[in-house]
Amino acid sequence: MTRLVINGRSITAQPDQTILEAARAAGIDDIPTLCWYPKLPVVGNCRICLVSVEGQPKLLPACATQVADGMVVQAESHAAVENRRGVLRLLLERYPGDHLINGGRARPRNEFERYVVRYGVVPTPPGGRDLPLRHGDERPGDSMIRHDMSTCVLCTRCVRACEDIQVVGVLDVGQRGEHTEIIVGADGDPDKAGCTWCGECVRVCPTGAIFEVMPQQRFAPERIRHPDRVVRSVCPYCGVGCQVDLHVADNTVLRVTSPDIELDTPNQGSTCVKGRFGYDFPQHRDRLTKPLIRKGWVKEGGRWTWRGPTGRERRGGPWQTIEGEGQNAKPAGPPRSVGKSLRELSLLERLDLDIRDRGATPASWYEPFREASWDEALELTTQELLRIKGARGGDALACFSSAKCSNEENYVLMRLFRGALGTNNIDHCTRLCHSTSVAAMQRALNTSAASGSMREVEHAADVIFIAGANTTESHPVFGAAIKRAQQRGATLVVADPRRTELAGRADVHLQMQPGTDVALFTAMLNHIVARGFEDKPFIAARTTGFDAVRQSVRALTPEVAAKITGVPAELIRRAAEIYAKGPKTSTLWAMGLTQHANGTDLVASLLNLMLACGMIGRWGAAMMPVRGQNNVQGASDVGAIPFVYTDYRSVKDPKIRAEYAHVWGVPAESLSLKEGLMVTEIVKHESGVRGMYIMGENPIISDPDIAHAEHWFRELEFLAVHDLFLTETARYADVVLPGSSFAEKTGTFVNTERRIQLAREAATPPGDARYDLQILIELSNRLGLKTAHTTAQDVMREIVRVTPSWAGVTYERLDGAGLQYPVPTAAHPGTAFLFDQRFPTTDGKAIFVPVEYGPPVELPDDAYPFVMNTGRQLYHWHTGTMTRRATGLDQREPTAIMEINPADAAALGIEEGDLARVTSRRNSLVISCRISDRVARGQVFVPFHFREAAANLLTNPVLDPYAKMAELKCCAVRIEPAAVPAVR
Amino acid sequence: MSASARPTHDAATEPYQPVFAGKVLEELQSLLGRYPTKQGALLPALWLVQRQRGWISDRDMTEVAAVLGLTPAYVKGVVTFYTMYHQHPVGQNFVQVCTTSPCNICGAEDVVRALLQATGAKELGATSPDGRWTVIEVECLGACGFATPVLINDDFIESVSPEKVPDLVKRYR
Ligand code: SF4
Ligand code: SF4
Ligand code: FES
Ligand code: FES
Repeated sequence: MTRLVINGRSITAQPDQTILEAARAAGIDDIPTLCWYPKLPVVGNCRICLVSVEGQPKLLPACATQVADGMVVQAESHAAVENRRGVLRLLLERYPGDHLINGGRARPRNEFERYVVRYGVVPTPPGGRDLPLRHGDERPGDSMIRHDMSTCVLCTRCVRACEDIQVVGVLDVGQRGEHTEIIVGADGDPDKAGCTWCGECVRVCPTGAIFEVMPQQRFAPERIRHPDRVVRSVCPYCGVGCQVDLHVADNTVLRVTSPDIELDTPNQGSTCVKGRFGYDFPQHRDRLTKPLIRKGWVKEGGRWTWRGPTGRERRGGPWQTIEGEGQNAKPAGPPRSVGKSLRELSLLERLDLDIRDRGATPASWYEPFREASWDEALELTTQELLRIKGARGGDALACFSSAKCSNEENYVLMRLFRGALGTNNIDHCTRLCHSTSVAAMQRALNTSAASGSMREVEHAADVIFIAGANTTESHPVFGAAIKRAQQRGATLVVADPRRTELAGRADVHLQMQPGTDVALFTAMLNHIVARGFEDKPFIAARTTGFDAVRQSVRALTPEVAAKITGVPAELIRRAAEIYAKGPKTSTLWAMGLTQHANGTDLVASLLNLMLACGMIGRWGAAMMPVRGQNNVQGASDVGAIPFVYTDYRSVKDPKIRAEYAHVWGVPAESLSLKEGLMVTEIVKHESGVRGMYIMGENPIISDPDIAHAEHWFRELEFLAVHDLFLTETARYADVVLPGSSFAEKTGTFVNTERRIQLAREAATPPGDARYDLQILIELSNRLGLKTAHTTAQDVMREIVRVTPSWAGVTYERLDGAGLQYPVPTAAHPGTAFLFDQRFPTTDGKAIFVPVEYGPPVELPDDAYPFVMNTGRQLYHWHTGTMTRRATGLDQREPTAIMEINPADAAALGIEEGDLARVTSRRNSLVISCRISDRVARGQVFVPFHFREAAANLLTNPVLDPYAKMAELKCCAVRIEPAAVPAVR
Repeated sequence: MSASARPTHDAATEPYQPVFAGKVLEELQSLLGRYPTKQGALLPALWLVQRQRGWISDRDMTEVAAVLGLTPAYVKGVVTFYTMYHQHPVGQNFVQVCTTSPCNICGAEDVVRALLQATGAKELGATSPDGRWTVIEVECLGACGFATPVLINDDFIESVSPEKVPDLVKRYR
């Protein structure tokens, strides 16, 4: 401990702290700073923080001077203040600060101007300045971020934020002397320099030289600086669960910022492009503001009756099917490097379309509907759900809940399906996400969530092993943390068929054939066992069944695996040794592993590797299935899956059933003991499901083999869709219920590290749209399940009663960074990492499950020589319902593209932007080609966000035997130049 | 700076002939052996580019960045910091004249004028229409006692006066 005096106050500090850090820690937070910023490397170049230190001849920079015992610091000494005035005066010489000469002083516009006012500096009147202003807005116009370098004070915070926090490095300092300026890449094009438009630079800039465009287009500057309120919420996109501050004016989110960098939220101040710029979709003019009822439903004698057409026309409409749209000609997609200014994309003008309309709802989709009152819509829904239940039993009904909705909403929906309709047919997109991980983790560890935290991967892992996860695009904020971990010295090993950004940066990249992961992991384990690198004490003390696995890996040597996977045996050995030697290896995986018809086996073989090396249950050795949606973990936790109630408690157990029946006030017999159907089983003719309620999901784009799914939904007796927009699925509905967006609700969400976080309402739903929770509660009451709750908080009180691992959760405790469950009691601080002592299995030991390698279901052959892989892009989200209506995001990736290797493209005579026809055994589509060495030869990658070229037309609906996951990641296709030319 | 090269997924679409191929790549590799980090070889790597191309384009900087595992902006920052890297094409003969005070007093301005006239270059920094000459002024060349020194490519010529300029220029035709 070091003792020193600052401004006459005695304080103690850590010996390695700087004067600035010590002062701030002691609550003295008014030492001015410009170039210093929390968590950025210290450069000490602005000199505004200089302070007087007794006995020192010169002023010293508080941000860069270490404390010493007995130091006496005067932060606002005469000399220090004079120096600050000088610094500010010099900076003002090149700052457009005329408004600060007189009236504007009362309203400083930014951090820098506040210092100018605070230190009483007045800019030289125009004309009297020696140097001209820097160039103004010379940067290419963009819809998200622009630069006005005339206000830059060269603090270089943006450079360091981009380089050291986001680890991208788009910005740097160019020229020298009076010409010094901030430069973008080598040629001024941020996209070419790899910019991900995360906006970290915007966040740190003290003058607004780097600024967001969208707020300025819609609001006056004063309004932006002084919003009606700022509300803490949770980003609506991925499972990282970034906390965001929604700035609200006129009941509209005008801007999104991230909370303080020093707050211990999962994002630590950062967001990605989706979180910061993807907030405008709730205001899109497609937003539904009135319930819709399909024309043909009429009320006669107190009952709703269908009087419309029957047969094929029953759910028809004047639109093309997704299959049909797939065959149309398309615009040539831009190569990523020129994906910048939309106006420069001539193709869009030629298409003669408003840019915002390509992913939006065509007017014709509304034709089969009429606007209705809530009473009508809910009455019809209630009548039909109850009619089908009465006629065919509750199991003829099913519901897709939503991983984009809160825990409370998911809970109320599953409660009403189980409690009022007596069926367990309730599932959500986890089925197409981490269901296989859950199946494998349940078998091996009896757990369903990550063991660790993102922080521990960032700060404590020595080795980070990433399998089938494109983290920098799908979970960008976590991706940046992984890059930071690598910079601090962690070794990165990536197993991925594509050369993703992390694969490109990895110390070892295992570029295997899609779907051959089992062979890869097994061979790694084979080598580890052969060399005796396994963690013998851990295996002996904490696991059972290793001998069987030891036997089962014997035959699969790295040489054998090299033939199967295409990865050189030497590389497999190297990766195995790095993994086993750790000392602390964190294991991450995502859809690349799970979305296979043998996904459970893929994950199981990875878990075997992890357990054999003892890489779990220590801080830094985390098991992290990286969760896709912002509440896919929570929706599962609160029981929106067919086999369990909340907390993964089986529906088959009469004792458990009795407990829920009691809390819900229904007779126990009314709850079904039969496990329900899963997403992929429901959308099948043999499922017997005749009526459905879909909340916030769009299965017609997300389900495998779309043509089949689209047909299936058309055959239903009744379909209610609860969504923000008339989606591809909602257009087939009988009733469409307009709900609330992420900004228009209070509720809790669980991120990928089991962190329960509270999102707070920022705006009210537009028009007649209602809060999701309110819709569900009313429907529940109408269906006869009494639901007295009025607020999300009421619902949470009920959830914690039936969810032992959440028992200590209250809304009050969720303030701040939230709580990582298990939180068994009101005093429990939450659990950052699990399994240091035992696993939640019966004997407390992890179970090895031997896995045999089996080839993927469809291997390429002469007729279908390519392997098609699907996945996400940075700028889009799943079925595009939200992101294609978010202006900034949509402009970066405006059209569907397929990535193809340059050599394959050349062999097929395909050039950048050309259209190709892609055909699988199911279907075919036409799509524009992007030539990219991210994909290996013989493989193509098609993102699944685009209705007009929906990847899932082609995917294979064959299912994983355990988790009923479809083979989404890997199917054999044929590629030929399309007969139609691209629109250019 | 980044630990390794960023993936090339945004490779420019326009055709580009890399500098570092064949012999030049070999030269770079032997160069890399002399520095503890790849970043350390940045200045000489840029020299190689300038030797091959005569100047360093944005696209070349991106290539250097990729090869050395740096960011394009960092490379650009270095190129623009030093005056000796050309960011624009220059003539086959590159002339640098000292115009710092001592030489200035001794008539360096006249030497400059004479050079512009003899070479046909319109102004300082501009290249003559025949593409052969670019003249720039530089700070002290360390030969103040032999004003005015002129550097033509790598040749150092002392005591240049306006009268000597036409002959001098002829020698490099
Ligand atoms: S938006 Fe992000 S990636 Fe782009 S320059 Fe700013 S900090 Fe760097
Ligand atoms: S743009 Fe902003 S953050 Fe970057 S150097 Fe200039 S003032 Fe600082
Ligand atoms: S804040 Fe200390 S020198 Fe800039
Ligand atoms: S001043 Fe010209 S060489 Fe020194």
